[in-house]
Amino acid sequence: MATVQVSEAEKVYILHGIRDDLRVDGRGCEDYRHMEIETDVVSNTDGSAKVTLGHTAVLVGIKAEIGKPRPMVPNEGYLEFFVDCSANATPEFEGRGGEELGTELSNTLYRVFNNKHSLDLRSLCISPGEHCWVLYVDVLLLQCDGNLYDAMSVAIKAALFNTKIPRVNISSDDEGGKEIELSDDPFDCMRLDVENVPCIVTLCKVGHRHVVDATLQEKACSVASLLISVTHKGAVTCARKVGGGSLDPESVFEMTEAGKRVGKALHAPLMALLRQEESLGMKRHKVGFLG
Amino acid sequence: MLKSKTFVKKTRSGGVMKVVREHYLRDDIWCGSEVCTECKQESTVLQEDACIESNLCSYPHYLVPDTNVVLHQIDVLEDPVIRNVIILQTVLQEVRHRSAPVYKRLKDIIHEKEKHFYTFTNEHHRETFIEREPGESANDRNDRAIRVAVKWYNNHLNTLKSGPGGLKVVLLTNDQGNKQKGQEEIEEYIKSLIANPELVDRLALSDDNKNEITSSKVLFPEHLPLSKIQAGIKSGSFLQGTFRASRDNYLEATVFVQGQGEDSTEILIQGLQNLNRSVHQDVVAVQLLPQNQWVSPSSVVLQDDGTAKDDNVDKDEEEKVLKLSAAEAARKPTGKVVGIIKRNWRPFCGMLNVSQIKESTRHLFTPADRRIPRIRIETRQAATLAGQRIMVAIDGWPKDSRYPNGHFVRSLGSAGEKGTEEEVLLLEHDVPHQAFSQAVLSFLPKMPWTITPEDMAKREDLRHLTVCSVDPPGCTDIDDALHCRELENGNLEVGVHIADVSHFIRPGNALDKEAANRGTTVYLCGKRIDMVPELLSSNLCSLRSNVERFAFSCIWEMNKKAEVLKTRFTKSVINSKASLTYAEAQMRIDDTSKNDDITESLRGLNKLAKILKRQRIENGALTLSSLEVRFHIDSETHDPIDLQTKELMETNSMVEEFMLLANISVAQKIYEEFPECALLRKHPAPPPSNYDILIKAAKSKKVEIHIDSAKALADSLDVAKVDGFAYFNTLLRILATRCMMQAVYFCSGMDSDFHHYGLASPIYTHFTSPIRRYADIIVHRLLAAAIAADSTYPDLMDKHKQSALCTNLNYRHKMSQYAQRASVAFHTQLFFKTRGILNEEGFVLFVRKNAIIVLIPKFGLEGTVFFDTKDKVPPSLVFDEEGPTLKVEQHTFHIFDQVKVTISLDSSNIQHQKIRMALTEPVIPDVSVPAPEAEPQAKKQKLDR
Repeated sequence: MATVQVSEAEKVYILHGIRDDLRVDGRGCEDYRHMEIETDVVSNTDGSAKVTLGHTAVLVGIKAEIGKPRPMVPNEGYLEFFVDCSANATPEFEGRGGEELGTELSNTLYRVFNNKHSLDLRSLCISPGEHCWVLYVDVLLLQCDGNLYDAMSVAIKAALFNTKIPRVNISSDDEGGKEIELSDDPFDCMRLDVENVPCIVTLCKVGHRHVVDATLQEKACSVASLLISVTHKGAVTCARKVGGGSLDPESVFEMTEAGKRVGKALHAPLMALLRQEESLGMKRHKVGFLG
Repeated sequence: MLKSKTFVKKTRSGGVMKVVREHYLRDDIWCGSEVCTECKQESTVLQEDACIESNLCSYPHYLVPDTNVVLHQIDVLEDPVIRNVIILQTVLQEVRHRSAPVYKRLKDIIHEKEKHFYTFTNEHHRETFIEREPGESANDRNDRAIRVAVKWYNNHLNTLKSGPGGLKVVLLTNDQGNKQKGQEEIEEYIKSLIANPELVDRLALSDDNKNEITSSKVLFPEHLPLSKIQAGIKSGSFLQGTFRASRDNYLEATVFVQGQGEDSTEILIQGLQNLNRSVHQDVVAVQLLPQNQWVSPSSVVLQDDGTAKDDNVDKDEEEKVLKLSAAEAARKPTGKVVGIIKRNWRPFCGMLNVSQIKESTRHLFTPADRRIPRIRIETRQAATLAGQRIMVAIDGWPKDSRYPNGHFVRSLGSAGEKGTEEEVLLLEHDVPHQAFSQAVLSFLPKMPWTITPEDMAKREDLRHLTVCSVDPPGCTDIDDALHCRELENGNLEVGVHIADVSHFIRPGNALDKEAANRGTTVYLCGKRIDMVPELLSSNLCSLRSNVERFAFSCIWEMNKKAEVLKTRFTKSVINSKASLTYAEAQMRIDDTSKNDDITESLRGLNKLAKILKRQRIENGALTLSSLEVRFHIDSETHDPIDLQTKELMETNSMVEEFMLLANISVAQKIYEEFPECALLRKHPAPPPSNYDILIKAAKSKKVEIHIDSAKALADSLDVAKVDGFAYFNTLLRILATRCMMQAVYFCSGMDSDFHHYGLASPIYTHFTSPIRRYADIIVHRLLAAAIAADSTYPDLMDKHKQSALCTNLNYRHKMSQYAQRASVAFHTQLFFKTRGILNEEGFVLFVRKNAIIVLIPKFGLEGTVFFDTKDKVPPSLVFDEEGPTLKVEQHTFHIFDQVKVTISLDSSNIQHQKIRMALTEPVIPDVSVPAPEAEPQAKKQKLDR
């Protein structure tokens, strides 16, 4: 993970600030940095979103392809994740530098998102046991400035919201052979229900307190952090501890509570924003990457 | 400005792919009008005074046809009257998508300068590009794009600085929706055009008119949609095949289903309902009927010749005839057509049956090809068109109409006239006969053409040899020449020199493609349709005497026993010393007083040829016979004034022998060098059942024919003689010819059987006539590559491409033969037209159930004598298949019987004029006719001349 070097004096300064609920950039402990979201930014995907959080920038593209359902769950589609840590984000990712991190991130994302509680996987099924939609979720890290998980999860949720899957019909002939038929209207497509898709909230233990949306400096001061994925109702669907240090049960409990609170507060404006953008339709002025 | 176009498509593996294309919009697309001062265009297409006089639009205007108008009314757009038309890119793209032939015709019109057709790339114009909206179908979007473009044009022309000149743009459409938005309908528009009444006829009938034409009763079952047909073919419940209508019975057809590999089946279709609006050559889907409904093909001749029958009135009656003849025994798989996979409609030649009701504008059209149903067309000029050969295109065949609907395309000229009939037979046999295009001509060498020193360096100089050519009289495309000389070692050197056409026709250029498409030169009586432009065929490639010409030479060293000791091939330069006719060459050989080089050379060749021929015949080559006639054509009227059968001289067979030898030598060489892609010619051995008729016929004269091998057949034909019947042998050989299979070109990599049955050669190809056959050009190229005289190119070495080429060559070859025969038949008719009724001697060639087929050796003419005529009580007919014999009243006809018949021209059906024969001897009461008194004296003189 991209890291910065922080001197002892700086550490003390940051630590003391957080103790008093005042962070270096002026935020409180449970405040996010400024976040920008734009959907439908890559035209050759079926759904895409770009999220910037402070200086962290991620781009998510979703491609829907027809595949075969997994044998254990013949009537469900599934998601595949791939995280590309581009060397644009930080020079450390150059060559194969980002590979390990990429694998770790995609494994976590798979755990969080690929289950029927967060997304209705049955709606991805075309014909049980034979055809289903596979959503390839490609995450591209454009810039690293801490709190990758939260930014990625928001971007994935936005991209899933934006995803338009072409509507297909299965026509079968008398011999039982099945043929997939495609509607010729490009606007005739299926949308996903993203209501229950969780967001990840990362809480960093800094000193005796914990902060959300830690910057790289704060991260350097923390020994351990907890990832919690929270749905809009505040249900925790997944939790994971990262980092070398240890957390005592009490602070785990405290952090979970804080995560639920923050997560719930994050969902409502996110969905509102996405719906508002959607309602603009084709008239929306696209910002893209140069805006 | 950049836009992107997005669409989803299905991949071949069954997946779904989203495709995004970048789409650039520009603001430098000009309107193309002469009036416009704003657009910075360099040259304009559309004229300022765009006047097509029309009642509907009295102002000057440009036309914008929509896609359907272009697709259905291309015949109208092609008319010279229609000018100043804007073709939108949207329309062009849609047309290309939906019909390749129409697209090609449209492109041709656009390229024609006088038509002033302008393509406006509205899809890339900033102001006329529109994006598809949610809920809008692709068609609606295109319609909207067309309307937007028209609107833009109107605005653009109105706001000109030079002041609006009153120019408008008119959208032509057939679409009701579009019309409501204030546009013109094509039909009304065309009708409003002043002074062009004939254009209305060219309008294709559109769907909404059909209800008026036909009764509303549904006559035919609905065709299944393509998706269902495909599913059915996949599951095996339907079969896909080519529909072949019967020539003799309009209620019957077969569908030829190509199976896996060699096996293919034929399915019989009987009855109008089951034929279900299929037209000859369509690709159809067929469903087999249950076995108890299978029938046998009827042997009745049925022609749909009632005048404009009312739909469905006597349908049952017509079909009753069929049912009766369906014998229990010879039942065949029978089916019905459930859907059409691909229509293969082309414009058909034929004639109009003028409706009996005066002032009627709807008439039936009878195509020249009997396999094509009659077509209902609408025309106001029936009176002018009657008696003319016209072309008609089919527009559609609604399920409630007895006949397909079509429209008039163009007139070819009056029926019976030579030019018209020639045109008809070329069109009907699909012989490409247009003048060579400029693109093709541009690849001809520049005149004056000379041989450069570089050319000489690459070629062997054979100018010193005494080469001469021997051809039929009047031949201008001489592609072979010969020489023979004695070598110092006592052996003979024989050379066959073939015109080096491949030097002038380089692979892949327009000239080459045109020649490959034409495939062969077609010889009609008094006319030649060249495969290559005349400059090559009659000049640069023709090995005329006393000029230096490029040749591809095949040179053998032979001993006196005509055994080939050495063979070599080389590109050369020759200078022919003489172009002789067969007769001239024969005279030189026979004239003992002549001893010049040419004559000596000819004698040497003749001697060797005789030996070669003997050897070949000993190997089992067949000498078959067919009567070929030659017309003496009047030099002014070009009418045939006499006809005689071709006679063969020794020199004919001399040239033939060496050509065969050259072909075989070349075939061996190219096969050795390119075993995968040599272009060869084979002649498959016919199946034994083909010979049945020959054996039976011979048996009736107590002669036995052995068919175990070509050799046995040749030998038994040689000994077959009947005392007092000199012509018997020739007749047998004519019959044997009919038993043979077609010889075909093929690619050595795609076949394993190379045998040439007729020539008894294990391998054969065509090398000796590159001026008139494309196959020879390919063989030349292969041979040139084999001797490293020329380079190869990818297509030459691709066996699949070669194989496809062979298919075309075989098709063209067959068609050219048919065209040739049709031309001879037509000239025969012309000949008899002026002769009145003749009485001639002939032989019975075949015996049929109700007729005998008679051959008249004098004219090489074959005709049928029917015994059951419609208007008379038929005589008692007893047909015995074993003989075969036919007993008419008291007289029994056998094959080879000598009879006398009268010959006259039957022009009761002007479209199908035919030679009618009637029996005069033997005299059978009520059947035979009296011999005509004496032939008119004047005519006779002419004949004897």
